[in-house]
Amino acid sequence: MILRLALADLRHERVLFLCSALGCAAVLAPLIVLFGLRQGVVAGLRAELLEDPRAREIVSVVNRTLEPEVLARIAADPRVAFMVPRTRALSATIVLENPSRPGGGLRVELLPTGQGDPLLPGLSVIDMDELVVSATALQRLGLNVGDPVLASVARSQGGVREVLTLPMRVGGVAPLTAATRDAAFATLPVLVLTEDFLDGSAATDARPDASLPPRPFAGFRLHAARLDDVPALDRELRLSGIEVASRAEAVAGLLRLDRNLALLFLAIAGAGGAGYLVSLGVGLWAQVERKRRDLALLSLLGLRRRGLLMMPLLQAAAVALAGAMLAFAIAASVATVLNRAFAGTVTGDRPVCLLTAQMGVAAAGVTLAGALVAAMLAGMRAAAVPPAEGLAEG
Amino acid sequence: MTSLLSLRGVLRAYRGDAAPFALEVPAFDLAEGEVLALAGPSGSGKSTLLMMLALAAPPDAAERFDFAGQDIARHWKMGRGDALADLRARRIGVVPQTGGLLPFLTVEANIGLTQRIAGRTDADRVRLLAEELGIAAQLRKRPAELSVGQRQRAAIARALAHRPALVLADEPTASVHPELADAVLALLKRECAAAGAALLVATHDPARAERLGYPVLACRTHAPGADGIARSVFERLPEIAEAA
Repeated sequence: MILRLALADLRHERVLFLCSALGCAAVLAPLIVLFGLRQGVVAGLRAELLEDPRAREIVSVVNRTLEPEVLARIAADPRVAFMVPRTRALSATIVLENPSRPGGGLRVELLPTGQGDPLLPGLSVIDMDELVVSATALQRLGLNVGDPVLASVARSQGGVREVLTLPMRVGGVAPLTAATRDAAFATLPVLVLTEDFLDGSAATDARPDASLPPRPFAGFRLHAARLDDVPALDRELRLSGIEVASRAEAVAGLLRLDRNLALLFLAIAGAGGAGYLVSLGVGLWAQVERKRRDLALLSLLGLRRRGLLMMPLLQAAAVALAGAMLAFAIAASVATVLNRAFAGTVTGDRPVCLLTAQMGVAAAGVTLAGALVAAMLAGMRAAAVPPAEGLAEG
Repeated sequence: MTSLLSLRGVLRAYRGDAAPFALEVPAFDLAEGEVLALAGPSGSGKSTLLMMLALAAPPDAAERFDFAGQDIARHWKMGRGDALADLRARRIGVVPQTGGLLPFLTVEANIGLTQRIAGRTDADRVRLLAEELGIAAQLRKRPAELSVGQRQRAAIARALAHRPALVLADEPTASVHPELADAVLALLKRECAAAGAALLVATHDPARAERLGYPVLACRTHAPGADGIARSVFERLPEIAEAA
C-alpha cells in the first residue's frame, strides 16, 4: 500500500519526478562515461599485454648456477604459473635437418619448454622426441607437423669431431609470439643432454633421460600467474641477486595508470556524488515539508510511523532508479560516439569507453544506496509529523 | 448503551487565537452510535478536543481516558504510537474541515484509503457509499476536479468506508455554502446512523446542528484569571449523556 501511495504521488507530480530523475542522471551519466573510459582504456591496454604471452614472462639473463632448491622455491611461488629451467646459452643451439634433404642443416636456438607453457598454447604436452619448431625454420627445412627431423650437436674432443644426432619429430609450430627467430622448443631432458654432450659428459649414442636427477641450472624462464604479479616478481628476483628481463616496467605503468584513473574517478565521483546526494536529501526534506499536510492526514487515518518513514525512502528509490536508467542510456549513447571517434586509435579494435550491464546494475545499486541514505533524514522527518496536523490543517 | 468514549479530569493547554487557553474536560461520555455536536466560538478548543478524541494529540493530564475499552491515557503515557495508530485506523473516521483528500489519489482511492490502512478492503462498500452520497460519477476523478461539496461528501464516505465505531467531523460545514451545510450535516447523521457509528461534530453554528436533530454540547468559556490563562470547559455528565 505504501508503495502504491508513494508511486501515485510521484505519478501525480510527474514533472517534479522527471526533474529529480534528470538531476540524478545529469550527475551520474558523466561519472558512468568516465568509469567506462577508465575501464575501456585500461582493459584495452591490459588485453594488449595479456594477448602477448611474453608480457607475463620473466627470464634470467645471466648464466648462473642456480641450485635445485632455489628453482623449486621459485616454481612453488603461487604467483608463478609456469617455470622451466634452462641450460647455458652457449649450449642451447642445435642443428636441424630434414632427413629427406640430407646436408641442408639449419642451426636454431634450442629453448626449453614443459607442460602448460604459455608461449605454446595448445601445445602444452610434447614428448621427449618431439620438437616445436618456429614457422620460419620449418619453412626453410621444408618440414610439416608430424614429419621426422634430425637434431644434432657437434663437439670437438681430443681433436676429433663428434656428433650427437637425435631422431625426432615435429610436434608443432611455435607461434610468432613465442619465437621470432629460428628456434625449436624441446623438453628439458633434450637440453640437458645437449649441454652434457657439449661438456663431454655424455656419449654420442646417449638419449634424453626422463628421470633427470636434481641438478643446478644456468637460468630459468617463468610466467607470472597474473599480469599484476610481474613487477613484484621481477623486483624480488633482482633483490635475490638473479638478473632478469621482463616487461615489468610496462606492466607497472599500466597498473599505475589503472590506479591513477581509479583515484581520479573516485575524486570526481566522490565530489559529484556527494553533491548530488546532499541536493537529493535537501530536495526530499523540502518535499516532506511540502507534503506535511498529506503525511499528517495519513498518520491521522492510522498509518504507522514505519509507513510514513517509507514514503520518502520509496520515492527516493524510484528517483534513483529512474535517474540511473536514464544516466546509463545517456552514457551508452556518449560511449557509442566516443568509440566511433576513437576507433582504432587508443586501444586498437577495442572500445575506448567500455560499458557493461554489470556496470549499469552497480551504478543503480550505488545510486540507490546513496539515495536511501540521503532520504533517511527526510523519512524520519515524515515519521515525526504529528497526526493532529491532519485534522487541524485538513 | 455501552460507553464508547469516557473521559474524566482531562486537561490540555493550547494556544488559542489570542491568549493561552486551557481545555478542561471534567467529564465526558459518548455511547456507541450516539450523535453529538460540540459547539463553541472560534478558538474555544473544539478542534483541540476533537484531536484528543481522534487519538491524534495527547492530553496533558487525564484521570481517565477510555476509548473502545482501551486505556488511551496509558497508551499515550507508554508511547504506544503504533497501538494508537491501529485504533485510529480501525475504529475512527475523520472528516476534516475541507475534506482533507489526498490530491494524488482518485476519489475512489481516497475513499478506499481508510479500508486499505485498516486492512479491510471492500470495493463494493466504496461504490455503495459513493452512490448514497451522490458522488458515484466522480469516483475516477481527482479531488481537484470536484466541487467543495463533492469533496466533503467524498471525505464523509472515506470516514465511513472502513466501518469505524466513531466519526469525528471538525467544522465540516465551515467552508461550504449555507444550503450545502444543511445537506452535509444531514448526510453525516444519516450515514453514521446507517453504519451504526457514533458521531461527534464540532461546529460554530449550534442552531443549524440543533435544527438538524443534533444534541448540542456547548462549551463554557472563562476569561483569563490571575494566571492569564483562559479556560474552556466541555462537560457532559453521565446523566446528561443518558438523557440524550
